[in-house]
This record gives sequence, structure tokens and C-alpha cells, in this order.
Amino acid sequence: MAEYLGVRVEVASNDPEHREFLEAAGRGQFVVQRCPECQKLRYPIGSACPFCQSLGYEWAEVSGRGTIYSYEVVHHGIHPSFRPITPYPVVLVELDEQRGVPGPADGLRVLGLLVDAEGRPEDEERTGIGARVQVEFADLGDGLGLPRFRLADEPPEGEVWRYPD
Amino acid sequence: MPGLRDQYAIVGIGATEFSRDSGRTTRALGVEAVRAAMLDAGLGAGDVDGMLSYHGNDSTSSPTIAGDLGIRLNFYMDCSGGGSSTEALIGLAMGAIEVGMCQTVVIFRAMNGYTEARIGGTGRQAPVFRGGSLDAAIHGMHSAGQSFAPSFMRHMYEYGTTSEQVAHVKVAHSKHASNNPRAFYPQRVTVEDVVNSRWITKPLHLLDCCVETDNGVAIIVTSADRARDLRHKPAYIMGVAGRVNKEQPGGYHWTRGPISRVAGHYAAPIVFGQAGVGPEDIEVTGSYDAFTFTTMLQLEAYGFCKEGEGGDYVSSGIIELGGARPNNTHGGHLCEGYTHGIGHVVESVRQLRGQADDYCPNWEQGEHTYDYSEHGCRQVRDVEITMNLGWASPPTGSALIMHN
Repeated sequence: MAEYLGVRVEVASNDPEHREFLEAAGRGQFVVQRCPECQKLRYPIGSACPFCQSLGYEWAEVSGRGTIYSYEVVHHGIHPSFRPITPYPVVLVELDEQRGVPGPADGLRVLGLLVDAEGRPEDEERTGIGARVQVEFADLGDGLGLPRFRLADEPPEGEVWRYPD
Repeated sequence: MPGLRDQYAIVGIGATEFSRDSGRTTRALGVEAVRAAMLDAGLGAGDVDGMLSYHGNDSTSSPTIAGDLGIRLNFYMDCSGGGSSTEALIGLAMGAIEVGMCQTVVIFRAMNGYTEARIGGTGRQAPVFRGGSLDAAIHGMHSAGQSFAPSFMRHMYEYGTTSEQVAHVKVAHSKHASNNPRAFYPQRVTVEDVVNSRWITKPLHLLDCCVETDNGVAIIVTSADRARDLRHKPAYIMGVAGRVNKEQPGGYHWTRGPISRVAGHYAAPIVFGQAGVGPEDIEVTGSYDAFTFTTMLQLEAYGFCKEGEGGDYVSSGIIELGGARPNNTHGGHLCEGYTHGIGHVVESVRQLRGQADDYCPNWEQGEHTYDYSEHGCRQVRDVEITMNLGWASPPTGSALIMHN
């Protein structure tokens, strides 16, 4: 049985997209759907291409590298499984692939927990817009994994912006 | 709304008390609110034949409410939805009447938002990740505040907006609530109170977040022709926009920027176009305050200030009673009580009637002191046009413009 933070993870039998996504993460690959018609990538999982409305998809592995576009730090946990790890930063990462598509303010932006090298929530003093991150994977068991992010050892895009305490 | 401007009106308003211990079912709350709105309008059971409600699987259906009150319905729908549903349902009520499905529609929201189904889902989170929760919840995002916060953080980054600026929204609404005998939180607070309150989800402090309450609220929509014979001065509907969306492929608006620009950007031309007025003509706003910053993002999106200048706008005094364009004169969700937006529409009707139920002894006769000190007046002088800005989330919102 797959689980994350002590909570069961289930994928419905009629939901192959989420299963394949989590299985790829279990193999250490971060994949997104690619439209076989217009070749554009999309995230999160959708039942059609939002650019050309084609129904098909194939999986494309992406680098998992990107820049923090926005973030928050959850102090008051709601879900019982996340309460023990507060405060934790949730980041919105703009992936390096397909930036500025379809418009200059658009991109492949992915939510994830920002963790340190030990997999614990990253210190919020090290979290900020502009910081570079790379994907890593939590093992959910049962062949499934979950993409998360950690700070990359590379210079930020511009100056890192943090909430001004 | 070609040809429909001023053809429909809100003619009745009703509400229960706002509490955290209703001790009653949503059925009892809904019945009390609908009955109060009917009495307010001067309508009997035989005069109401349409009903609309919205819910999150946390309420009681229209036929049950209507049945308890001896109402036989020619039309009803119970729609799934939270904030921004009220304005959308007003538009649907107009459409139902316009095509002849019914003549007079009650819209209600009945919820035990504290004692049963809390807004953030607190206490109701399923102990399993599956389905849609595999896209956000599994990453640690579980409540409205948590899902809205990145939009505000990005606004701070892009424009230099500060927590102190948006704290003025809570300050203003608390000032208004102190003149509202029904407000759940009637105490005035300061900017320091807000920014020194504990973190919920950075950048949101506790006092940036709305209250959760138990309550029922109802309004009645009918044609202008019928409205003229009823008890109160009608609040005529000039324009309405319902649950307008930003693009959100995969249900994820974050892939389309700027993420600090909310759905009102798209709703504005619809609602102002119908009404034939612009932001400069609006005298009172009711901008949904699930959080301090949601009020700001919407005021900006509808053009009450330039994009990026919302922080200056809400901290300038404009939005306070006595300012040029007060917002949420009842205290809003931050202070009066949480109604998923219908309370904001009720307040617009009160302002248009000149009957804000404040501490002025003769408010029912429309006599007000216009002294906005604590436990004083909350009626804005000579209001002619109000606007409601309904919020569901950054990518979904509604709007309503009315006049008297």
C-alpha cells in the first residue's frame, strides 16, 4: 500500500494518468503530459490539450529544474498528516521547459513541498522567489513516488525575494 | 444585459443571527432567513414561486425549506458553490423570471460554518490522498488560505505590497462592524493587532483571515414591475457577472499569469458594460473578504485603482466609512460573519434603502447621524449606486451593480 506522511495514497482504477505520473516519480522521473498534435507540454494532468484540444497525450520527461515563482509557509496545519511538519514551505516552481508559453506571463508551474537534503521542510529563511530548485522524489511505496523540490546548488535568478519579516 | 438593466430588483432581505453555536440545523436557519426576507418584502407563501441556493454538501435543499414555509415552487435549483455564488444566482433568477419559469425567486445560503462544516475543511479532511487531492493536497495545500496565499505573495513581490497595507482592510471592516449590532466581531482593531497576530500561512496572519460562523441569509429577486408594489424601495439591478473564470488548464490557474491578477479583470467589462457606469460612479463597494488581500486584489481587478496599487488604495482611508468609497460597511466576512458573500449583497440593499441597521435609534425610518465613531452610524450618506465583488478563488469571481 502506498502512503505519504502516514496517510494512504490511492489512485482510482479509472485514473491511469495519475498512476503513470506517480509511477514515473517512483522510477525517479519527473514527467508531464505532451500533446502528440501540437507538442506542447501541460501540467497538471488534464484530459485534453488546452492549446489545441487534442485528447491524446504522451509522457515527456522534464529536467525538474526551475525557479521559485511564488510560495507560502504553512504554520497552521490543516491536514492531520501535515501538522507534525509545520512550518513547511509550499513552492510554486516555474520549470525551465516551456517558459513564456503561450504568453510572456505563462509557464509550466508546479506545486511542491520544498525540502532539505534530509527530506525535512526547508528553512523558510532559505526559501524565496527567484531561488533555483531541482526535483527530488519521496518514496510512497508500491512503486509510486511523489515529486518534491529542494534548493539547487546554482545562482538564483536575480536576487532572491523573501517575505520581509 | 441589453434591455434588462433596471428591470429586476432585490425586494427582500433576511438573516438569522451570526453565531458559533447555532444549536440548530441548516434547515432551521434557512427557514428563518427565508421567512425574514419574505416578511421584509411583504410577501406571503403564495407570492414566492422560485428558490435558489448554494452549498458545499453542507446545507438543506430548497424544496425542504419551501415546504416548511408552505411555498409551492415552480422553479428551484440547489447549486454547488461557495463565494461568488450569490451574484451568479441573482443573474440566474432574472433569467428564470424573464423566460417565464417563475415570478419571484428567493436565494438563500444556510450553513453551520463553525459547528458543522468549517470553511477550510478543518476536521473534515479525508485521511487518504486520491483523485484531485493528488494535484494539490498531497503537496501540503489544504485550505482556502493556503491555496490563495501564493497569489498574494506574488503581488507583494511584483508590486511591493505589504502586510501593513492590507491590514487596513481588517482595520476598516472592524470599524464598520463596531457600528453593526449583529457583528460577531464588533471590536475595532489596529494595523499592529493584525500584523502581530500569529501566522496561519505566511503571508497571512490570523487577523488577515475571516471569521467562521453559523448563519442563514436570504434575498428575494423579482421584476421591477412587481417590486414597485412591495414594502421597501427596490434595489434595482443594473448589471451582473456570474462566476467569471480565468484560464485554468487542469484546474490550475497558476500556469497562466500574472497570478496576482484575479477573475474580476474579466468580469469588469461584463458588469460595467451592462450597467453603463464605471468604477468612478460606484459609491459603496462590497468586495469579498475571505482574507484581507482578497478585498484588495478584487478592487484592483475591477479598476478602482491601477494594477499594483491596491495596497495604496486600501490603506488610504478610501475604503473606510467617511472615506470616498467605503467597502463592506457591515464588517464583512472578517468581522460580521461568514455567509459566502450573500451578507455583502444584503448590506448593499440596506445602504441603498438608507436603512443600515446601526446604532442610530431611528435607522428604520432612514434617520442617521452619519457619526461613524464606535457604536454609532454606518449608513453612507445619499448612496445611489453600490457594487458587489464576489470571490470564489483567484480565478473565479462574480459582480453585481445596483442602484436605488
